[in-house]
Parts: sequence; C-alpha cells; structure tokens
Amino acid sequence: MNKESRLKARVNQKLTETGERDRLKELLRAKLTECGWEDQMKAQCKEVIKEKGLEHVTVEDIVLEVTPKGRALVPDSVKKELLQRIRAFLTQHVS
Amino acid sequence: MKMEEKPLSGPDNTRLEALIQDIYSELVEDACLGLCFEVHRAVKQGYFFLDETDQDSIKEFEIVDQPGVDIFGQVFNQWKNKECECPNCKRLIAASRFAPHLEKCLGMGRNSSRIANRRLASNNNISKSESDQEDNDDLNDNDWSYGAEKKAKKRKSDKNQNSPRRSKSLKHKNGELGTSISLDPYKQYNYNAGISFESLGPNEVRSLLTTQCGVISEHTKKMCTRSHRCPQHTDDQRRAIRLRLLGPSVRPTLPDADVEGDSFDVPDGQALLSCLQWEDSPDISPTDSASSKASTNHSDSRRPKKKKSALSMNSGGGGVNLTGVIGSSAQSNISLSTKKKKPKTAAPSVSSIYDELN
Repeated sequence: MNKESRLKARVNQKLTETGERDRLKELLRAKLTECGWEDQMKAQCKEVIKEKGLEHVTVEDIVLEVTPKGRALVPDSVKKELLQRIRAFLTQHVS
Repeated sequence: MKMEEKPLSGPDNTRLEALIQDIYSELVEDACLGLCFEVHRAVKQGYFFLDETDQDSIKEFEIVDQPGVDIFGQVFNQWKNKECECPNCKRLIAASRFAPHLEKCLGMGRNSSRIANRRLASNNNISKSESDQEDNDDLNDNDWSYGAEKKAKKRKSDKNQNSPRRSKSLKHKNGELGTSISLDPYKQYNYNAGISFESLGPNEVRSLLTTQCGVISEHTKKMCTRSHRCPQHTDDQRRAIRLRLLGPSVRPTLPDADVEGDSFDVPDGQALLSCLQWEDSPDISPTDSASSKASTNHSDSRRPKKKKSALSMNSGGGGVNLTGVIGSSAQSNISLSTKKKKPKTAAPSVSSIYDELN
C-alpha cells in the first residue's frame, strides 16, 4: 500500500511537473463542451436550483447533486481517449 | 523514473490500470467541480437565467417560413417603389436613388465635391449664354458641360436655393437669384446670363469686353457672357460692339501709337482681331511685331516693369493673350498659363487693344 501510494504520489508529481495534468484538464473540458456535456450539466444545475430555490442554493448542494450525474454523463469516446492519454503518459514516464 | 524497475505485467498492469482510472476520475471530478462553481457564481450574481426568455417573446420571434417573405416575416422589396422627400431640396426621390441623391444634394460624400468642382469649372469655361438661347439650353448643356451627367431638368420651381442643380436655372434669369448664391463675385458674374450694359460704367464695360464676347442680343439687349470664341456670334459682331461701346469713351493712349494716332490703330485692331483665330500671332503690324514677338516667346523676359512700356508691350502681348483668354473667360489661371508673368495686366492690356479699334 505504501508503495502504491508512493507510486501514485510520484505519478501525480510527474503529471504536474511536466504540465501534462493541465493539458489533460484542458483537453477534457474542451471535449466535454464539444459533445454537449456541459449543456446537459447546466440543465441539471437548473433543476437543482429550481428545486432548492434560487436564493438559498449553495455550492455543496449543487456539487453533491450534480457531480455523480456528471461522471455518468461523460461520453464513452471522451473517456476512452482520456484513458489512452494517461496510459501513454504513464508508460512513457514510469518505465 | 524507475519505480521498482519492474516491467509492466499482470499485477502491475492492473495496478497501473487502477492508477489510470484514478487519475481519470480525478480529472473528471475537477471538471465537474469547476462547472458547479461557475454555475453557483452565476446564480448568486444573478446572470444564470439571463439567456432564457418567456414564451411570448419566443413566439414573437419565431422563424417565419412563408413564401414571399423572409424569415423575419418582412416582405422583400416592399420599399422599392416608394418615394422619399428629400429634406434638402424637397423633391420626391425614388427610394433606391435616395442615398446617392442625398450625397449630392447635401454636398457630402466622396463624389459630390468632385462633381461640383467639375461643374463649376465647366461653367467658368463656357460663360452663360443670354436668354435668347433658352431653348437651346438643354442641348447646350449636354454639349458643353458634363456630358456624363445627363440629368433631365425637371421642376425648376421646386428647386431649393442650395440645390446643386440650381445653377442651370439661373442661366436665363438676369441675375435675380445671383446674389443668393454663395459664390465669389466673379463666378456670380458668370452666372448672369446677360448684363445690361447701360448700367455699367466705361471701365466695367471695357473689362467685360476683354473677357467676354459681349455681343448684344437683339432680343434682350444684353451682352453675351460667353467667351471670345462663343459660336453664336461672329468676330465682326464683337468688333462692332466694341466700337459702339468703347468708341465714345476716352481710351488710354499708347506710347507707341501716340504719333501714329488713328491711322495706326485700325489696322492694328484688325490685325489683332485676327489674332482671335490663331494661337500665334507673328504677323502683326510693325510696331507691335517686336513687342508681340517678345510676348509670344513666353520664356523671353522682355517684360519691362514700368507701366508705360508695359502697355505697349501688352498691346502686342495682348494679342497673344487673347488667344489664351479665349479658352476661358479670362480667368487669371489661364492668363497665367499663357503668360507667366504679370497676369494682372492681361485684362487692361486686352482692353487697350480694343481701344485701338476706334
């Protein structure tokens, strides 16, 4: 476990150092907007807001309600591509 | 980076995959969280629901899909045949011609100044005819002035003072509206179709005759304001007029012609008048030949600076000047071009020639 966590820590560090993490973030965001995921998410948020009331909605409310749906709504193609990139990065840098 | 230096195989693979999945889900959560923060801020700042409109507005601006009408529901060429009233000249202009008309009418826009300048230049070149040529005016206009703009003359009475086409209507009015033009007096002068010579003093008559045809029309008793080459009148007529008008008045005596007196003047005048036809006047009478030669050679600077000799000089030089003057109604520009020095003496010099006619 220790090794794993160490490994993980190392990987994360590497990701950040090389700037790959930021690149991946941008890529993901762009892809999600392109495929309409963001609009769907906004619709979800609207529902939550209407449910909770405009004045009293909090960040936590939105996050808690929306995030799981968001995770589920990510299209498969986007997911696969991202995984691909991560794998490539790891194989490149780990071994 | 060497982590345990193990090749990626079975268990590691799964570990790696798990790692990858972890990283992936981290990224996705990041994205979600970012979105949530954005939305929350928008809600609290009040701009979250801005892009939504109510049902009524949506129905109002629905896309229209009918024939003969564009997507907004407007008919295509609805305003094509409408006429608009110009605020400047109060004429009714077709809608599609309205903008170019306004450009010219208001004197703004790229071409308007060009056209106006051209018009004024051509008007100055060809002095206005007298009113007995009223009927031919349209034809003359097309011939003499801007052939490119063949605007039909319509509704003269409707025209405003500042309408650009007003100048044409002034031709046969004896300067009634002349004073209201915002032009300099010289041009205003030209716009008067005819000048009644009775009202002018001898000096004015003389100066007029040096620049203009001057033949008095029988119909209107006015002097022709065209140039010396005006096709309506012959040189004989011009000479006769000058004899008539300038004869009784005192004429400046020329130093050269002093002794000879009258005998000299007539042949001089006739010879000089013949200069009207030709550009160069090399064969003028003896006394003038020398001076005329000097003046024909423009580059020669035999131009004495004293007035006396200037007159004698100019009597011959005037012959040449005439030809230059014919081209335009004695604008100083032209005399400048033909005679580079002393443009001012052009006018009195020419008048002195005509004095010799008597």
